[in-house]
Parts: sequence; C-alpha cells; structure tokens
Amino acid sequence: MERFPLKSSVSKAGTTYQSVYKKGTSAGNGRGGVTPEDDMVEIAPGDATPTSHGTFQLYEHSGRNNSNASANWDAVIFSGMQGDADDIPGIGQYDDFHTIDWQRDIARDRMRHRYIVKKRQDSIWDLIKGAHDAWSGWVCVLLVGVCTGVVAGVIDIGASWMTDLKFGICPQAFWFNREQCCWSNDEITFDHTNCSQWLTWPQVFGESRDGAGAYIVSYLFYIVWALLFAALSASLVRMFAPYACGSGIPEIKTILSGFIIRGYLGKWTLIIKVVGLILSVSSGLSLGKEGPMVHIASCLGNILSYLFPKYGRNEAKKREILSAAAAAGVSVAFGAPIGGVLFSLEEVSYYFPLKTLWRSFFCALIAAFILRSINPFGNEHSVLFFVEYNKPWIFFELIPFIGLGIIGGVIATIFIKANIYWCRYRKYSKLGQYPVTEVLVVTLITAVIAYPNPYTRMNTSQLIYLLFNQCGISNSDPLCRYNRNFTGVNTAIERAAATSEVYNAMGLLFLALLLKLVMTVFTFGIKVPCGLFIPSLALGAIAGRIVGIGMEQLAYTYQNIWIFSGECSTGDDCITPGLYAMVGAAAVLGGVTRMTVSLVVIMFELTGGVRYIVPLMAAAMASKWVGDALGRQGIYDAHIALNGYPFLDSKDEFQHTSLAADVMQPKRNESLAVITQDSMTVDDVETLLKETEHNGYPVVVSKESQYLVGFVLRRDLNLAIANARRTLDGITGQTVVVFAGPATPGTLPLNRILDMAPITVTDQTPMETVVDMFRKLGLRQTLVTHNGRLLGVITKKDVLRHVKQMDNEDPNSVLFN
Amino acid sequence: MYLKYVIFALFITCASWVSGASYEDKRCKCVCPSIAAVLNNTEGSEYDRKLYIGNVPPNKCNCVGVILPRVGEIIKGRDQEFCPRCECKYENRNTTIIKVVVIIVIWVIMLLVAYMGFLICLDPLINKRAKASYQEHTNEEDESTISGTSQPMASRGNVLNRVTHQQDKWKRQVREQRRNIYDRHTMLN
Repeated sequence: MERFPLKSSVSKAGTTYQSVYKKGTSAGNGRGGVTPEDDMVEIAPGDATPTSHGTFQLYEHSGRNNSNASANWDAVIFSGMQGDADDIPGIGQYDDFHTIDWQRDIARDRMRHRYIVKKRQDSIWDLIKGAHDAWSGWVCVLLVGVCTGVVAGVIDIGASWMTDLKFGICPQAFWFNREQCCWSNDEITFDHTNCSQWLTWPQVFGESRDGAGAYIVSYLFYIVWALLFAALSASLVRMFAPYACGSGIPEIKTILSGFIIRGYLGKWTLIIKVVGLILSVSSGLSLGKEGPMVHIASCLGNILSYLFPKYGRNEAKKREILSAAAAAGVSVAFGAPIGGVLFSLEEVSYYFPLKTLWRSFFCALIAAFILRSINPFGNEHSVLFFVEYNKPWIFFELIPFIGLGIIGGVIATIFIKANIYWCRYRKYSKLGQYPVTEVLVVTLITAVIAYPNPYTRMNTSQLIYLLFNQCGISNSDPLCRYNRNFTGVNTAIERAAATSEVYNAMGLLFLALLLKLVMTVFTFGIKVPCGLFIPSLALGAIAGRIVGIGMEQLAYTYQNIWIFSGECSTGDDCITPGLYAMVGAAAVLGGVTRMTVSLVVIMFELTGGVRYIVPLMAAAMASKWVGDALGRQGIYDAHIALNGYPFLDSKDEFQHTSLAADVMQPKRNESLAVITQDSMTVDDVETLLKETEHNGYPVVVSKESQYLVGFVLRRDLNLAIANARRTLDGITGQTVVVFAGPATPGTLPLNRILDMAPITVTDQTPMETVVDMFRKLGLRQTLVTHNGRLLGVITKKDVLRHVKQMDNEDPNSVLFN
Repeated sequence: MYLKYVIFALFITCASWVSGASYEDKRCKCVCPSIAAVLNNTEGSEYDRKLYIGNVPPNKCNCVGVILPRVGEIIKGRDQEFCPRCECKYENRNTTIIKVVVIIVIWVIMLLVAYMGFLICLDPLINKRAKASYQEHTNEEDESTISGTSQPMASRGNVLNRVTHQQDKWKRQVREQRRNIYDRHTMLN
C-alpha cells in the first residue's frame, strides 16, 4: 500500500516551497535525475510566494522524464492557459453558486504571466502578444468606461423623456421632454407650467389647461401611464431576466467577495435592467437609478472582460475589472468620479489592490467624461441636481448639522428595520407569489397619493435639485417666497421673513417626507430594477430643508443673539437652507448605507466646492454612530443577511473562543471522505463521487496513515475523468488513478488537477485565526491536521454557518452549494 | 437574421427623422423679475418672473446682449438697476442625440414586448408540436438522444439549429432564475 516512504510525504507537506523544488528535481524517489535547467531558472525564490499553488507541482513534474504523458501535459497546461483548446475544458471554472478560490486563480494567472514573459524573447509575434497582454487590463477598463458612459446617457435621456410623458407630449417633436420642448420659447412668464409647444394630456384631448376637468384628466393619465410603465417593467423582468430586479448592490458585493452567480452579470440582465430601469424610474415609483447603475456597469465589465481571456477565464482577475466597473457606475450615477472610486473601495470591493485602484480611477474618469460629453440634462453636468454653492457657513451651524446627522441616522434606522421586516414578510408569506400584482398595487398607491402633492408629483431628482438650490431670482417655487424686495441694487439676496406660502410648502414637504419614507419601505425589494440612493437623498433633503428654513427664520428673528451677531449682522443671508438640505441628504444616505468617506466625497463633488466638507463629515459621522447604535447593519448588509449570501464581512470581528476542531467536518463519529494518492481505481473514485456530495476531496497517502498529499476539487475530478475516457485509450473502471508519484503505464495520472499546496491548519487553531485566513486570503476551504495526519476540512460554508450559529441566527439560511 | 433587418429598419427611421428637425441647440436663458417690480419700487411680494431666451454667442449671454435689445425701450436708462437682478445662463444640448436615443429606447421596448408576446402566445403552440414529434421518435428525454437525432439536421440548417439551441439554453437559464426568485425566494428578496 504505502509505496513511498514516509519521508517523501513529510517533505512535501512540511517544508518550504523552495526546498520542495530541490527535492523534486535532485533527490528523486525513483524519479529521473535529469535537471531541466530552463525550468529551474524560472523558480527564483522570490517568485515562489506561498500562494503559487499549482506552480511547483508543474515544475516538479517536468523534472521527471520517465513519463512521456506528464511531459506532454506541461505543454498542455501552458497552451491551455494560452487559450488553445487542448486543455480539459472547464478546468478553472466554477459551478453556479460556488465560491471561488482566490489563491488558486491568482496562481494560475501568475503562471500564465510567467509563461508569456518567457516566450517574449522568442519572436516578434510573441512580443506583441506580451505587450497586448500587458495593456489588456487598461484597454478593458477603457471599454467599460466608454460603454458605461453611453448606457448612462441613454438611461438619463430615456428616463427624463418618459417621466414627462406622464404629463403631456411635445407634438412637434415627440422625443423632447417638457424642458427641451420649450427650449427657445420665451413668450410665457416664468412659471412651472407649460409653453405653447408642450401639450398636457387634457389639451391633447381638446380641453382647457386649467380647471377641475383638466385636473381629473391629468390625474387619470398620470396614474395610467405610471401603471403601464410599472407593468411593462415588471413583466419584462419576469419574462426575460429575473435577475435584473432590485438594486443589485448586495449581490455585486457578494460576487466581488468571490461568489459565482451565473447569469447575474449577463447580456439579458444588462438589457432588461437598462430598459426596466428607464420604465420603473419614469413610473414615478419611489426609487432611483443609482444603485442599478452599479449593477449595469458591472454587467458591462463582465461582458467586456470576455474579450480578454486573461480576465474572462479567470474569476479572480475578472473581479478586478468588476471593481473598476462598479466605480464607473457610481461615477456616472452622481457625476462623481473620485466618489465612485472610493465607493468601490469602501462599500463593494473585497479585494482591492493598488493596481485596481488606478484602473478604477481611469475607468471612472472615462465614464464621467463620456457622460459629460453626451450632456443628457443640458446643464453641462452629468446629474440633474448639480448645484454650485459659494456661501460660507458659520461655526455655530455645526450643531444643527450634527442634529441633522442624528435625525438622518434615526430615519435611516426606521427605514432599514421596516424594509427588512417587510422583505422578510414577503419572502415567507403568500405575498411573494404575486410579484407583478405587488408592483402594480404599489405603483397605484404611489401614483394616487403622490399626484396631489406637487413635491411628490415631480421627479425625485428634480425635487432634490429644488431642495438643494438656494433661493435666487431664477427660483420661483413657493419655498422661496420670502418677503424680499427687488429694489436695493447691491445686496442681491438679503435676509427676509418667510411668508405663509413658505410654511405651506414646508407642510407639504413634511407630508412628502412621510409618504416617501413609507412608500420607499414598500418599494425597495419589489421585482423591478430599483435603487435607494435617490429616495434616501430626497428624505434627507426634505428633513434638512425644513430644519434649514427653521434656522434661517431663527436667525432672522433673533439677529442680535451672540451666536448670529458676528456673521449675520451685516444683513446678508447668512444661513443657506439649501446647504442644510444637502447635509441632511448626506446624513440619511450615510445612515442607510453606512458609507462615510465615499459619501462625503460624492456630496462635495455634487456641489463643486470643498468648503462644506466639515459639515458633511460631521453629519455623516453622527448619522453612522446613531445608525450603528440603533441597528447593527446597513441596508446592504442586512439584505445580504436576509438572503443568506455567503459573504464573510471583513468589518465584523469574530469574538468567540471556538477552535478549528469544533467547526470542521466531519464531526465526531463520522468518517472523512478521502482519496488515496495511487491506489484507487476509476470505479472507486466514481462511486465516491456518487455517494458523497462534497465539493472537494483531500488526497492522502493511504487510508491508514492519513498523511496529506493534496486537495482535489470535485468538478475537476469529474471533468478530468470524463476527458480521459474520451481522449485516452484503455481507460476502464479498473484503471488505477494516480494523483502523485510516478505514473506507470496503464494508470490514469491526474497530477495536474491536484492542488499540492492546500492551506492547512492544526485542530487547535483558534477560529479567530481561521476566520481571518478565510477573509484575508480568500480561501475556499482549509484542511485540518493533527500531528500531521489529516483530520477534517473547514469550508467557507462551515465558517459562515458557525458565525451565524454563534450570533444566534439560523445557520441553515446560508445560500450555498 | 431578423435582427439585421430590424437594425437596418431602425437606422432608416432614425436617419429620416434626423434629417428633418429644426430645433435650436443653444440658448441663452435669462430670468429677471418683472419690470414693474423694479420700476415702480413696489415693496415686497412680487413673484412674477420673466424669461428671456436669446440665441447669442456665449460671450454675449448677459443682460446687455439679450435683455436690453428687447426691453430697452421700457426701462430707458434704468438698466443699471434692472440688470443686476437678472440671471443669465448659457445652455446647449444635442437634439440629434436625444432624438436617436429616445427612438432607440422606443424600438427596444417594442421589440421586447413583441418578443414577450411571441414567447407567451405562439411559442407554446410551436413547442407543443415539436415535442410531439420528438416523442414519436424517442420516449426518454435524454440529452444525448436528442442531439443524436438532430445530428442529420445539422447539415441542413446549421445556423437555425444553433440559434434554437442557444435559445433553449437561455430559456432554461431564465426558468432557473425564475425558480430561484419567484418560487423558492432564495435570492433578491
């Protein structure tokens, strides 16, 4: 049974990598003693980092000359990496709902890279190929940036046109929205209604513009269009790409942490998400397009990465492109390239090396540039609610700003708790069986309640713009009806008392706040593409504006108190309600998503001034503290937990005292399914594969000794046996499978699929360390040994279940295969 | 195959529309309080604003370039009081892009709706017939036998076969997704 002396396996498992190379080539347990020099040249000690799993196995084999097959295979590995069809198809890919092995994928890429570098000296063609390989990452993110910008432009233009379709049409050029339709028409006095080119629906049907009848017709058309758009969106999503529903950020987070969801970033998901997003935004539901934009950009990143095999065939490398794409998504959503990069770093990405940071930067830059040149809103910016502020703030205002942060944190916590409760109810009750009906009911209620209130009737982005804006000449909304006169020449805007119209507007805004809060709770999670950045910004902006007007009137009434006396004594308008709206928006968004740095950067990129960083930081921080105190998770983490995605959060700490032996499989008095290195037949292996459902099997020297040789994945094993049956002659059920050691004729050598450097821990390792290893190295599984003998396996699933169990949650809720 | 014609038709329609329209792409938009509010020195609540839109170069987008030529008669010499209250903004847009994008969006939505209608109404009928003919040959729904029977047909309609094969694969995937989301509620809740 034990053909190898113990020494051999000990040296493999226990010594450093460098020494293993030497053993493999020079000592030779019955191996050919020829030293292949060119291979040895490659293995500089610095190269062999502990992560290069497959690498040394490869060189070790090429050291052996007694087996022609294995010599051929090394060539096959190389050519397989090159993209030729010789390799076993599918090796290195993963099944649906599996976790990727970062270490293995990165090692594969390193090997491929080394091969390309080596080949570069051979010919000009290889040199060109090497150069292409080197720049393909940049080309890929360039393409992703360009496509993201274009798609964002399409969404912006389409959604703004379709939103105005609810109110009327431009008969001369039906593709214009109201603003565009009245582009060069100045015959009317300035108000929010229409010019003569733009026909509201009552006018189209020959009624007057005003009056009760016209109001009812408009109301009906508003509801009917909203229902039509929502129904289309929901049924397209249901018919063509169910994965296109929702915001997508929790799933993108999970995917970036190394999970495979097939089809989640595919072509159909992209198309349906774009079209469905336009439809659902224009239906007037309380949702935004910013979150889905991240999903759309990631879809583009995934699709375009298939043009470059370096990224398309390597899941770990692909995630670098996806991180950059997520940055581009936020970049176009808010016109905030740096904010996008930081969002990708802070919120979604899991593995974010510096190289990816620079690529994300470039990708976000390109996307923002393209969108800016499309100029979808005609305001020279890529968001509708871009405002420019230049007013100073006084030091005392920090107190209301922090107060806004606290309000924001409270609103956010209410929202998260209610939304998660409702989503859980939907998940486990009968409600979940009627997705399209639910969308229609929510749309109907939203439309019926929203129309009478002008602040909820308008597009949410426009509402945010209105609230962010300061009251100037060009702003004639009731919110800005102060008792001002236009006579004094030099003081443009001065402090003034608010009229009753302002207070009416504040009342309407408060109603809008309640309505938006309630409706967003029910909206986020219905089966259409929907994000929640815009609704939460709107919630915060309303709260902030109300507080801001209050502060302004306070300063007007008590202008001689010491806190206002310094700055406000000159008669200038020293308090800007629009700034409060902005701070409030940042506070609620920060509370909902628990972003801090990226949020502040996004907000100040929106305002085009760095002057307000301190207020925004104070509010974001206060809101995060309040949010963390009242509820543990942000909305995305809460949704990840609700769905049971296998996401190992690097923010949480593992504080329990359990050991690796408590967590590992198998538990006591169960046996571990193992494969021996050179004594099992094809039939034995296939029986094992049939009887057990593990995703990988440890390979040991022999069942008695249980000395560890390596680890082999179920999928690879299946593929390799199927491939061998197809291509090699003389493979029968009785053929012995050899995983390690010399391959004699008449056996089936499977050295190539064996990972000979699996990560191992001892059974006394604290789980704290194990969890850390899983997080930081991106492991898929680790083997547990005791006195050098194999004892069991800990997979990511086991770790996640253990964490859930320790937190008194249901461990079976983890979605995993 | 159909896709090509569709795209072709789409471009034709786009091109014909593009050649037609005549809307300005640039404007200078000025907002002022109503002239009466300034001239009569009325205190307080005067919310009427007046919009002046002119088609001038960006450097002339100001009170002198846009507003005075129109209302110079009325305010006669008091423009020093009137002008500081006006806000002028230069804006531009690209009507062609807007038109093309909106038309493409309408086209895509119509195509998707048409395809959805096809899949809901006609496809079950066609598939029923196809399935019946399969079941005459093979009783078991084994992948290999089906591909085996379709082998001779492959020479005849290779492209068509590949398309239907891809379509079947895609339909299977969508069914799987639907089961995950709408039936089992394991994802995207």
